Amino acid sequence: MTGLVRAEWTKLLTTRVWIGLVLGACVMVGGFAALFTGLAGAEPDGGQPGLPAVGTPQYEEVVFSVAANASVLLLILGIIGTTQEYRHRTATPTFLTTPRRGRVVAAKLVAYALAAVPIALLVLAVDVVVVLLFAGARGAAPSLDADNLQTLGAAGLVLVVFAVIGVGVGALLRNQVGAIVGALVYLYVVEPIVSSIGVLQPAYKWLPGGAVQAVTSDFQAPDLLEPWQGALLLLGYGLLTAFLGTVLAVRRDVV
Amino acid sequence: MRVEVSGLTKSFGTVRAVSDLGFTVEPGSVTGFLGPNGAGKTTTLRMVLGLITPDAGSATFDGVPYAALPDPVGTVGAVLETAFHPARSGRDHLRVYCRAAGLPVSRADEVLTAVGLATAGRRRAGGYSLGMRQRLALATALLGDPPVLVLDEPANGLDPEGILWLRGFLRHLAHEEGRTVLVSSHLLSEMEQTADRVVIVGAGRLVRQGSITELRSGAQGAGTVLARTPDADRLAAVLGDAGMSADRGTDGLVTVTGATPAEVGARAFHAGVELHELRAETTGLEDLYFRLTAGQEQFAATSPTPEGAAR
Repeated sequence: MTGLVRAEWTKLLTTRVWIGLVLGACVMVGGFAALFTGLAGAEPDGGQPGLPAVGTPQYEEVVFSVAANASVLLLILGIIGTTQEYRHRTATPTFLTTPRRGRVVAAKLVAYALAAVPIALLVLAVDVVVVLLFAGARGAAPSLDADNLQTLGAAGLVLVVFAVIGVGVGALLRNQVGAIVGALVYLYVVEPIVSSIGVLQPAYKWLPGGAVQAVTSDFQAPDLLEPWQGALLLLGYGLLTAFLGTVLAVRRDVV
Repeated sequence: MRVEVSGLTKSFGTVRAVSDLGFTVEPGSVTGFLGPNGAGKTTTLRMVLGLITPDAGSATFDGVPYAALPDPVGTVGAVLETAFHPARSGRDHLRVYCRAAGLPVSRADEVLTAVGLATAGRRRAGGYSLGMRQRLALATALLGDPPVLVLDEPANGLDPEGILWLRGFLRHLAHEEGRTVLVSSHLLSEMEQTADRVVIVGAGRLVRQGSITELRSGAQGAGTVLARTPDADRLAAVLGDAGMSADRGTDGLVTVTGATPAEVGARAFHAGVELHELRAETTGLEDLYFRLTAGQEQFAATSPTPEGAAR
């Protein structure tokens, strides 16, 4: 199994996909952190509430949990990790080397979960550096106290778990473009609609988006799960898709 | 190590791709897996290698199916389609499978050298020519130094020099190193020069299997012999007395079936019949294969050569 996990890391590191996605995640998170810091304390505009001012705990929660927004890029990394085997037809040598295909999926889950840890740490570091420098320049650099570290930890956890979910979604759908488009449509079309319809509200907390909110929100919202429950639920989604993918899709004929 | 295929059957939707196919592949020889395009060769090889689940039948390596082999990479090497990530170098491609199979990564450089790709190993596989891709696929198959090699149309895309190299390479692996080599092709001429034995399939069914010489001269080692003589009547009578069936053609030509040239020559010599020409009709295999391909594959031919299919 160690060999299979290392093989997955070799696959990951010998193409440049990961570089683009990691850079994208850093730029995105750094950019949002800078944007929110720059706009912090701005006057409310047209009925929209403004961003909390620099120096308040609310501001600090917003800018430190912004790192979790890079989860979509980790999701794509995981999706590509599985679907590239089909896209470039390397599923053939991969399954010839490891005929028990469930082991390949398991190795990918472990490999991408572990690979996502340093990526998440890097993204968090970018977030922290941008916030400390920019908010410091605006007069109140946040301290990395227990509350803020918890926020950062939750965001990092979301990043790692989304890489695992990506591997699972890729195993289930096999088609790279379809899996990525499907995941984006789900995250940015389906979930916002579900969460905005009153009748469906009770279901939302059980969806991945609701679970992410449960993990990253400090405040105790009544219609969300506890943070640890949300983290488990997210991990469950990753493992469930991977399991279904192994049983329903990965075992199919490789022609 | 011996490969045994028996009763393999696979349908895709309503199309029967492979039908009750059985044959064996012996060590120490190159076995050609010959059939027109669409005859089910690739499907069969993929079933043998556990990539496609057969509807019925089995394929085993010394009795063990591929999926149950304790060390698949060290047992069977396979060259199927040339499947690489285009952005990954050939060397990195090989290192991935070294790691997955628990082999030292130095094995990647060894097999690159063995197939003549040492200098191109660090270049992106996407930039490789078709011939280089085939060599990389072969290198992948050789990683575990396996006693069995299965190759699907490995000559595709190779230039004449590459084909010559491949032919020598495969024969060396089988004859000198005693490996079991199964290689598919739709080209009879290629197989005649590479293989010791052939398994011929048409429309997913076994048509013939046997050694090249055996098939060339007919199933029993005795095929059609052509003799030319100024005294055709006498030769036909002499051969008829010996129990051979001799037909007189024009221009002193006698066509003998159920005999070898040596037997015909001996009879003629004893009877004092002058011979101007004596040769085996070697087109038996070409004829057979041509009839097979002329029927155009799986759509036309449910059973292209009944006498062969029954064997």
